[in-house]
Amino acid sequence: MTTAPLPVREPAWSLSRSAIGLWVTEGVLSSLGIAIAAALFAIFVPEDAGGPLPLLRWLVPIGAAVWAVATIGVRPWFRFRVHRWEVTPDAVYTLTGWLTRTWTLVPISRIQTVDVTRGVLQQLFGLSSVAVLTASSQGTVRVWHLEADVAQRVADDLAHRAEQVRDIAT
Amino acid sequence: MTEPVGQSDVTEPVEQSDVTQRTEPNGPAARRTSVLIIAVHTATFRQARQFVPAVIPLIAAAGLNGGRTTVVALVVGVTLLSLGTAALSWWRFSYTDGPSSVVVTRGLLSRSVRTVPNDRIRGVEVEAPPLHRVFGLVRVRIDAAAGAADKDEELVVDGVSRAEGDRLRTAVLTHRQAPAAVPDAPREEEFGRFDNRWLLYAPLVGSYLALPLAAVGALFRVAQELPENLRPNLDDAALASVRGLVIGLVGAAAVLLAGSVIGAAIVNWGFRLVRRGGSLIAVRGLITRRHTELEIDRIRGATIAEGAGMRLVRAARVNALVTGLGDAHRRGQLLPLGPRSEAWLLAHRIVAEPGPLRAHPPAARRRRIVRATLAGLVVTTAGLIATAVAGWVWLLVVGLVLLGLGVPLGLGRYAALGHAAGPRSFSVRSGWLSREHAVLQRRAVVGWQVRQSFFQRRNGLATVVACVGAGRGGYASIDMAADDVAGFALAASEPWAATLSRPAP
Repeated sequence: MTTAPLPVREPAWSLSRSAIGLWVTEGVLSSLGIAIAAALFAIFVPEDAGGPLPLLRWLVPIGAAVWAVATIGVRPWFRFRVHRWEVTPDAVYTLTGWLTRTWTLVPISRIQTVDVTRGVLQQLFGLSSVAVLTASSQGTVRVWHLEADVAQRVADDLAHRAEQVRDIAT
Repeated sequence: MTEPVGQSDVTEPVEQSDVTQRTEPNGPAARRTSVLIIAVHTATFRQARQFVPAVIPLIAAAGLNGGRTTVVALVVGVTLLSLGTAALSWWRFSYTDGPSSVVVTRGLLSRSVRTVPNDRIRGVEVEAPPLHRVFGLVRVRIDAAAGAADKDEELVVDGVSRAEGDRLRTAVLTHRQAPAAVPDAPREEEFGRFDNRWLLYAPLVGSYLALPLAAVGALFRVAQELPENLRPNLDDAALASVRGLVIGLVGAAAVLLAGSVIGAAIVNWGFRLVRRGGSLIAVRGLITRRHTELEIDRIRGATIAEGAGMRLVRAARVNALVTGLGDAHRRGQLLPLGPRSEAWLLAHRIVAEPGPLRAHPPAARRRRIVRATLAGLVVTTAGLIATAVAGWVWLLVVGLVLLGLGVPLGLGRYAALGHAAGPRSFSVRSGWLSREHAVLQRRAVVGWQVRQSFFQRRNGLATVVACVGAGRGGYASIDMAADDVAGFALAASEPWAATLSRPAP
């Protein structure tokens, strides 16, 4: 994506491979919604309407198709490549984002709570997300889509270690 | 000894069955607020206010045609209602400051008991509004927020005597700390005192300028309600004339200037900041005296804010960044308004000096200018098209003016950027309209966030946010050189930040 050196290093680990399946499913669902909307548009807008409508009759289905290809065929693999995470002896570290990349680092000594959440789709794929919260509203680390057992292990481990090394936590 | 507490924001009366002091089986006595508070609350309709929406339609239905008798009856009725609710509220309210927690019991129909453990209490504020002062009472706010500035997170004991207020404050703060940490007679050390000449800075500060505007707005609303024949008779011709306009503008400017100075005086009169034991205590206010106590142990740094207008006269304001302080913008104020030199002296008593700021690379200047001129560029382009197509020149002129203004704005914003890391603290600065210089202790950092947009990546820049459990939650060093990021983070926080540059073993 770029040749410029990164400002900070990349976290070491990728998310679960199942996340790709989840993202593809999400892409299929959103594409279906858009396809239905586009079909309704094509059916109910009269062919001889004035203004930009004749042009839109072509553009809307094309846009919907491009969206479907991007969200189903491209975005899941891109996302998989740009989401990275790592738990070191001292800290939790994540990287997200493609155009704007965001690295977040939170030391274990300042962790206040660790949340594990499972959405409906995530349950189908056996995935969970982990959120690590600190006293700062901006210092929140979220790791999306880990295998459920990995997520639970990570959360338990972090909570346990946070308790042992916690200083003032703020 | 029994003094009940009035929750000043949530104003339901308190449910407390015995009027006399109640002794709990294994704890300190429940206390009650002073009976005099009933008089204060009756006069201010504190509890009765919530019935106003119900009363208005009643009045409207009955009409005001009955003449004097109706009006008198109405006044008596409303006062009795207020008296009744205030008394009920007082009767139902009690508080207990135990060795491990503060308990406030209240509630008109349903009884509410709120217990706040002492170690969650972040600060205590004692304030004396004018009517309270007449009766020798104060209102004590106990701040128990865990970061969120939620009103529900504070306990309010409304209407205790000044002595009891001071006792409660000391007791709550003493219980919270290890007993050994409190010396018998804490020495007072003055950190700062407000010089009334500094009030002249007020017209250059946005928030003080807003005070007279709000007052004028309220006045206009009142004027709208006046009957037709009482309204000042301004005829349209007088308003339209140039002279009328000039007089109006000059008058408005004078009102604005005077109002901001008066507003600043009312809020900040007699401001004094002292250190007593482990706390910083700020006292201020002309009409309502406020007494705010900040625990020094919880202070993580300070911000020195200078608006564009304030920079012209070298003025600044200082706020402390305190973890878990609700309503931090008001309560954290260490210097509401004053000369820059004074501000820096004070800031460096709170947090160590991290050394001079390092400027950000030239690429950051380009980026600031590009961003500041972007709007101008868009309008100019649109203007060129409009000129060519429709012959509208004015859009092009507006665009060029915006473009021209964007350059100094971008340069100004670039000049504000900087960061520095010292042995015990670090600082970041940004902003043009309101330039904010944050100086933070190393231990303040609870996380780092590094952001790099597509354009920043191409220019070798990155924005680094120090996540802090105080103030705004994060303080950013905008557009610093990407190569410096890991070094700055490590220098500005504790060794865990090395994770940013070193792969896990």
